[in-house]
Amino acid sequence: MSKALIELVRERFPGAVTSSSSDRGDDSVVVKRESLLEILTFLKNDEATQMKLLADIVALDMLTYQSEMTGGGSLASQEVTSYSLSKKPQGEPRYRILYNLYSVTLKHRLHVRVEVRSDDAKVPSAVGIWKAADWLERLAWDMMGVEFTGHPNLKRILLYPEFVGHPLRKDYPVQKRQPLVAELDFPDLVRGPGPGPGGAGVPMSQTHVGRTNVDPTTYD
Amino acid sequence: MSDPRFPIVTSQGNQPEAPKGTGEQSNLAPVLLTRRDEAIGFFERALSGTLGWARKNSIFQYPFVTACCGMEYMSAMCGRYDIARFGAEFPRFTPRQADLLMIVGTINIKQSPVLKTVYDQMCEPKWVMAFGVCASSGGFYDNYATVQGADRIIPVDVYVPGCPPRPEQVLDGLRILQEKIQSQRHSAATVEMSDDVRKRGLFSKLSSR
Repeated sequence: MSKALIELVRERFPGAVTSSSSDRGDDSVVVKRESLLEILTFLKNDEATQMKLLADIVALDMLTYQSEMTGGGSLASQEVTSYSLSKKPQGEPRYRILYNLYSVTLKHRLHVRVEVRSDDAKVPSAVGIWKAADWLERLAWDMMGVEFTGHPNLKRILLYPEFVGHPLRKDYPVQKRQPLVAELDFPDLVRGPGPGPGGAGVPMSQTHVGRTNVDPTTYD
Repeated sequence: MSDPRFPIVTSQGNQPEAPKGTGEQSNLAPVLLTRRDEAIGFFERALSGTLGWARKNSIFQYPFVTACCGMEYMSAMCGRYDIARFGAEFPRFTPRQADLLMIVGTINIKQSPVLKTVYDQMCEPKWVMAFGVCASSGGFYDNYATVQGADRIIPVDVYVPGCPPRPEQVLDGLRILQEKIQSQRHSAATVEMSDDVRKRGLFSKLSSR
């Protein structure tokens, strides 16, 4: 049934679908970024699809994988062990943004995927199509740093505004912390200084991010 | 000290005995006390014991509940385990009326200014219990968002490990805190300085006896 969905998108937008896969009823299409909004609008409004529900937006960082554009369900061919951008071949897309669409009336599901490169991590915003995309895109921006152009209010949704960087990127240090309160400076025998605050010869009391100017509107 | 009206006496009770057979003098200097010092010491003990007894048996708690440990906190509060048996009867939901800050659950970095504010709002004397392994050390949340133990922000008196701790562990931690409160010493100098005691001439009477 859902294979018909893939075929429908392929027929309607020739050249926009770079690959597709259908595995155990889990269907996905990889589309080009330029025609993303057209395809999403079509999938929501067409009588044959009726994807009224945007269930989720998922952002993936494929930094440690050598991804392939071949599609067909191959997620990763070879794992890159160290976190190094130089190991990633130039021109390969680093981020995957996946729209999980569901039709409540017709009870079918389709994953629409876009792949972008790290030097151009921008995706057009889908807020104009689904209102649910607002917070989902803010979360993806907060955690993964994918910019959604045209979003009306693109700012952090979970983390505090003083936070620098995007923590779920693979090249963000696992134990790097950005405390808001000056931490007490004491030798920690059990947990050790660690690479976080207090590590690398920097006293914990000097590593905090000062909260000088709290604007309550930044937390809504 | 050398006033002949006040003969020097040596305290008899708690001095460690000099090592026998060595023939050398002990390195520990003998504690010399005047009767005035003894009187002050007596009052210190009496005051500290009474204050400690009163404080340890009426611990008002402020539950700073942030995570799943709150379930065990509720269990410790309710009928079967009943933390009220040990005097910790009332949860006060304002830090200004609380003696004990119970940090129940994970503290993440975004919450840490709130925790610091709550602690600063509590009146002295105040104590802090880290309830559960997340509040004690960050637990397994070794990541960008979590404070690695509440003691990196505010001083903590008692750590109760467990994920979550059993209510019995919480009661045990409370008993340890009670022992700590009971053993706290309060200087009688503050009593001596207070106007009430000075007007009565209590210390002058005792020391001139």
